[in-house]
Amino acid sequence: MPDMTRAPSGWTPTRRALLGSSALLAAGLAGRPAEAAGTPGDKIRPIVLLSKPQANDPSLFQAAQLAVQQWKKLGLNISIQVVSNAQQNAVVWNERQKWDATTWEMVGRPERSDPDELVFSLFNSALADNGYDFVGYVNPEYDRVAQAQRQELDRAKRQALVKEAQDIIKRDQPYAFLVYPRRSAAFNTAVWDASTVKTEAGIGIRNFWTFTGAVPLTDKKDMVLNCHVEIDYINPVRMDVIGSWVTDLVWDKLTRVGLDGEVVPWAAESFKWTGDTTMEVVVRDGMMFHDNTPVTMGDVLYSFELPTHKDKTPQFFPFVSNIAKVEQTGPRTVLFTLKAPQASFPTTTLSKINLIPKHVWEPLMASMQGKTDMLENFNEVAHIGSGPFKFAHWRPSEEVMLERFAGHWQPPKMERWIMRIVPNQEAVLGMLRTGELNFLALFTGDPRVLAEVPKQVPQITVVTETDMGFQFLAFNNRRAPFDDPAFRRALSTSISRPLLVTAAYNGFAVAAGSCVSTALPFWHAEDSLLSGGDLNAAKKMLEDAGYTLDGGALRYPAGKRETLASN
Amino acid sequence: MTRTLKRLAHMVFVLWAIASILFLLFRLLPGDPTLAYIDPSFTDDQRQQILRDFGLDKPLGQQYLIYFGNLLHGDLGISFRQRLPVLGLIFTTLPNTLLLTVTALVVAYVFGGLFGAVLAWTRRSRFEAASIPLVLATRAAPDFWVGMVLLAVFAFGFGWFPAGGASSPGATFSSQWARVFSVDFARHLVLPAATLAIYLQGLPVLLMRSNMLEVMNEEFVTMARMKGLPERTVMLRHAARNALLPLVTAFALGFGAAVGGNVVIETVFSWPGLGRMLVDAVQSSDYPLAQGAFLLIAAVLVTMNFVADMLYGLLDPRVAHGRH
Repeated sequence: MPDMTRAPSGWTPTRRALLGSSALLAAGLAGRPAEAAGTPGDKIRPIVLLSKPQANDPSLFQAAQLAVQQWKKLGLNISIQVVSNAQQNAVVWNERQKWDATTWEMVGRPERSDPDELVFSLFNSALADNGYDFVGYVNPEYDRVAQAQRQELDRAKRQALVKEAQDIIKRDQPYAFLVYPRRSAAFNTAVWDASTVKTEAGIGIRNFWTFTGAVPLTDKKDMVLNCHVEIDYINPVRMDVIGSWVTDLVWDKLTRVGLDGEVVPWAAESFKWTGDTTMEVVVRDGMMFHDNTPVTMGDVLYSFELPTHKDKTPQFFPFVSNIAKVEQTGPRTVLFTLKAPQASFPTTTLSKINLIPKHVWEPLMASMQGKTDMLENFNEVAHIGSGPFKFAHWRPSEEVMLERFAGHWQPPKMERWIMRIVPNQEAVLGMLRTGELNFLALFTGDPRVLAEVPKQVPQITVVTETDMGFQFLAFNNRRAPFDDPAFRRALSTSISRPLLVTAAYNGFAVAAGSCVSTALPFWHAEDSLLSGGDLNAAKKMLEDAGYTLDGGALRYPAGKRETLASN
Repeated sequence: MTRTLKRLAHMVFVLWAIASILFLLFRLLPGDPTLAYIDPSFTDDQRQQILRDFGLDKPLGQQYLIYFGNLLHGDLGISFRQRLPVLGLIFTTLPNTLLLTVTALVVAYVFGGLFGAVLAWTRRSRFEAASIPLVLATRAAPDFWVGMVLLAVFAFGFGWFPAGGASSPGATFSSQWARVFSVDFARHLVLPAATLAIYLQGLPVLLMRSNMLEVMNEEFVTMARMKGLPERTVMLRHAARNALLPLVTAFALGFGAAVGGNVVIETVFSWPGLGRMLVDAVQSSDYPLAQGAFLLIAAVLVTMNFVADMLYGLLDPRVAHGRH
């Protein structure tokens, strides 16, 4: 499932919440100047912070509680309202005028090693109505910088623009960034050669390079790993959090994100910019699909043509939407012509589009023409790719099994890749100890418990890596008082990130200040961090911005009115 | 015959009522099924298109008629989330759930029947005094806790049994039958079935004991003793046999309840069963799958209730003839 979803109205707020945080007619009405600027501003209404249940993410819930405690000390009447995942998504994503603040997370994905997706999309005013800019941050200056970094092909200049974008975000604080989580994974060194288990920046050891390169030390050549939730789809034209682990191995791509976060050629022998908007790719020769048919140039062209059918593959459409033309210019050469310069193209498009067999997908596509169904919702059963692993079986709620594809130009060292679905995290630890699992891909329990395992079972190695994703408290920039950058800055300043790291995340996080993680040091702006925790400084910032305290309750600056209306 | 027909009609009515309630329940709940697979890049038009695809844009009455028409044809629809036929999805996990449930129930009720009879026969003994609290404690213990203890001891401690799943990683079988009758499957079944059996045994033990205590005061038991029959024969052939009737009902109802009620045990042991599928379906607003799973569970429950009624009539003709 995508990490950010949208939905229609399904939220039924409590009467108290509705009255307390009744929506303002529009951002423009929210804080209109009063007739007389000298009159005291209105009292700020009770604010509601939406949060998923504690069980869903105890650390983020705890962080939200700590932040709210600080905000109460500033005089804000605020409460946390716990809602289900579905309710939170529905309100935040689809009812954009109806909420004040919410907990949220952007997850790390290999293609996010290029900062473009997050820098460009999250705060882009063009995406405020129904896109990624769900907080409604509107700043033409930021839009200009974000667009410029997207189009800048000079790496050093682009780096400067990405950092400039982070500076603007630090100044305006559309979110209160909290942390970049540190995720732990583990493996059995008696089964796997530790030197061949690789760590990918911002992702950890659960990555393509480990799965294809890990060398078994014994006759047991199967990697048995875990995941905690059911898989919905194994589909090369669909993004599914866990399903993508499988598609990444079964289907090849022209490029892949390397261990250092930089894109490297894969099914392409090479790629190079031949102009601001043209990229030439030489495709590797001799590749085979799992049904023993060769990967032809027709298959490569079709792989980039299929997602252009927005009504059939809406999730993958954005990755090819900037492509004006794809043409074969030589026996193994493809020329991509873009509509506009896009520096991230090799990462966000070439490493994302799976190479699919035309003889399988073209008939499928033809059978869906004129129908409303989407290709991305099709659970095709054969799963024919050209990747290093071929599909063997999928037993719902139990396991997915892939087998080594000997016909690949770089076949894996292991024989089988078996992903067991184990929802019980205590059992996961037990299985790791007894050897039922020899690779722990994901652990959603207390990371401190996992960190202790090697002390009892020395052959287990735990690897912890700072995530490319981040957790934050999102302010609805459309609604007063969050439409005021000074107010947002003060709230963000009051939160002590070091305290959160210690108290809420037990040390398994890094304080965050921007949407570009410290896991991407080339792009991350080191001075973006707002360490926070200084309550007096936060109070002073509010005072300077004209906010006053009245009997312990915060008031808007003089003359500012809050216009309440029903939703 | 008339009684059977009446009971059948009653069963059909109950199933209709349950199906109708389920239909309304899922559509009146907050949340949107399109959330399960809609991406931020989707436009409102695309989302509306998905709603149209599933008929969710139609008036509720029309949706109801389509739903029932499909049900009568045995069509439970297509899963919103996985876009696969609901019936097919349910049948991938139902055999696992049925085998877990039946095994646990048989173990629990055979043990419960025998142990309950022994407790009644040894009334006021030290054995009974020690056993009753033990039975009550195991009945009251949360099944996830019992499951974790069994895992810790027999899977992680002694390593006798696997800790999760219904078969070993990467195991392949020629057919479903070959899978469920394999030693590998049986090894995986032991701990979850034992956990469920420990949870279930309290009821048959206590039920059997109290029935036995009543029956033991009946004249035919006194008569059997007066005939000089051995105590064991009196207990098993005369008393226990007549005390079994309520256990039959409890078994049938327990079966119905246990089919859908194993979510916790299935989660603890990563058992690929109907309960986990049902929870996933509800959490993701997958109406057709959740409806289908609930309906199936309800059908099993109602059917087992019917079977219990019929069996009761067979075992005790007074019931069938309306004489009490």
